[in-house]
Amino acid sequence: MATNYVYRRDASRLFIALRDNGKRFKIYLPVQSEPIIDGKELPIKIVDNSEFNYCFYWKGQRFHCVINGQDQNKYSILVNGVEYKYSIESLSSYLRQRILNKGEKAVSDSNIVAPMPGKIIDIFVAEGDLVNAGEPLLTLEAMKMQNEIQAPFNGLVKKIKVTASQSVMKDELLLEVISIDE
Amino acid sequence: MNKRLLIVNRGEIAIRIMRTAKQMGITTVVLQSARESDALYIQQADEVISVNGSADEKPIFLQPEKVVALALEYKIDLIHPGYGFLSENPDFADLCREKGIIFIGPSPELIRNMGLKTVAKEMALTAGMPLVPGSNGTVASAEEAIQIANSIGYPVLLKASAGGGGRGMRVVDKPETMVRHFKSAADESRSAFGNDNLFIEKYIANPKHIEFQIIGDQHGNVIHLGERECSLQRKHQKMIEEAPSPSLSDEKRREMGELAVRFSKKIGYYSAGTIEFIVAEDGSYYFMEMNTRIQVEHPVTEMITGVDLIEWQIRIALNEQLSLRQSDIQLQGWAIECRVNTEDTQNRFAPETGFIERVLFPEGSGIRIETGIANGSVITPYFDSMAAKVIVHDSNRQNATAKMIKALDAVRITGLKTTIPFCRVVLRHPDFISGKYTTRWVEDNYSPEMFYNEDEEMIGALAASIAYSMEYNEIASNSPGFTNESMSMWVLNKRINK
Repeated sequence: MATNYVYRRDASRLFIALRDNGKRFKIYLPVQSEPIIDGKELPIKIVDNSEFNYCFYWKGQRFHCVINGQDQNKYSILVNGVEYKYSIESLSSYLRQRILNKGEKAVSDSNIVAPMPGKIIDIFVAEGDLVNAGEPLLTLEAMKMQNEIQAPFNGLVKKIKVTASQSVMKDELLLEVISIDE
Repeated sequence: MNKRLLIVNRGEIAIRIMRTAKQMGITTVVLQSARESDALYIQQADEVISVNGSADEKPIFLQPEKVVALALEYKIDLIHPGYGFLSENPDFADLCREKGIIFIGPSPELIRNMGLKTVAKEMALTAGMPLVPGSNGTVASAEEAIQIANSIGYPVLLKASAGGGGRGMRVVDKPETMVRHFKSAADESRSAFGNDNLFIEKYIANPKHIEFQIIGDQHGNVIHLGERECSLQRKHQKMIEEAPSPSLSDEKRREMGELAVRFSKKIGYYSAGTIEFIVAEDGSYYFMEMNTRIQVEHPVTEMITGVDLIEWQIRIALNEQLSLRQSDIQLQGWAIECRVNTEDTQNRFAPETGFIERVLFPEGSGIRIETGIANGSVITPYFDSMAAKVIVHDSNRQNATAKMIKALDAVRITGLKTTIPFCRVVLRHPDFISGKYTTRWVEDNYSPEMFYNEDEEMIGALAASIAYSMEYNEIASNSPGFTNESMSMWVLNKRINK
């Protein structure tokens, strides 16, 4: 599997932080490396942490964060003494909300169909995986040629409609991938 | 020195006074009220007098008779009033004198005279102090107002004689609008204060507040210790002070300092005192008032002169001669003070009350902290919101500013919001860097959005996301491989590798 993609498969590590002014941040928290914010891996170091405080080091400065208040998924954070408010959502609850707000359109946009008739050779992802734009999802063999079907955007694999060694027609639905980038 | 000093104050100033008094071998005594029985100043005093009383009544620091009675009971030799409270109450100073207790400050007569604005101004005038030009007394009509305005120059300020709080006050730019403004100011004054007497003075559009520190003894010696600039204010409350002022030339400093000394000598002033000037854009300056107490911002003067003002207040009160000469006072480098108030700067400085969970101040050469709070301190609604002061000293203004920014960045206070973010914004602002800020700065520049910083906003989102991920276990149970422990491992890993 390619490793130069920013997101790892584990979608439960992606959070959407929505500020009270409407600004949104997509924050991916890997296990052993720096956080990925809005698709960029940022060299932010954690200098110190305790239950209610985090101190980050970035761009040659320290950022002291204190959890000033919390009500369910709503957080008030003091960053260097200045208050910012966010509501945090997991990716699945965020997407659910988005689909509810937008209706069917978002869903139809996310369909990935076979560009030509052929046979499914390999499927690289599972339902619930987070995938990066350009990341191979499956291999489709047509006329002795193997074609990689790639994710058109960063997204979440919602449904896989085919299985390995299955034959498909042109325009047959292969997977549903929901964009996480709008 | 075998003396007993009662400090009739609280918070950082009580601790500041104690520090010098202890060095002088004086026993320090403080008053403990039910409102903040655990405060830091109480823990640091040699002796504590417990004052019974409910939280509803006036604080003990505002009750002259009760304080003096306690002082007599506890065999107190000296009383230091600090600032605020009874520090400029002539009746209290009188009472102390009557009962044979030394009040650390000038005589009751001086306190009384300087407290009466008109008396103080008259005395200043006879000492050759410039006053803001205007009508000396009530103006009878708009026509008379126009005559006076023509001689002192526009813009002018119409003020209600009985006024205060901006009511009955009008700025008039040109003679054509005088009649209208005169009438409305008089009407407003009548309805607010019951009389429509107005006076008129030159309006100073973008003033600076510059004050001179003086000390004098009871033998006629007076010197000045240079000036402080305190123009950064909101609602007449100083927020940041510096010494010297970036807007005085050496020549002007000498001139104003000499005036301050001449005035103080003329009125026979002794103890520490402060003469406030309002300075106009063109550099002209006018006497405003004299404060007859130690000021909140006295440390900046101490930093650039090396003089301990509290020590001299005590020694002068004990009738010692001032051994310092004017030529001994050489201003060294630059000092800045930032006030750390427990206020919500993003919400128009609304007071914050509650617990200080944790507080940590930086240490280092040229950094001085005056604090009244410690871990677990309670900030009550009974007293003012100033919790601490951060003071820095360095070779020049630029270095001092940089040092202050670093020092403020290193202050950790959790539990309540403070004015530190405000100070950080100001210190980085071009108007502060150029030294061109005036007393109007906060009014003209404040907005809750001025604290916004793109990087901080993003880092806050990261912190909230980590907090959320640690909090919600159901995320873990829904996805194999994700546990709270593994998240902690990421955090821990960073901590170990830093």
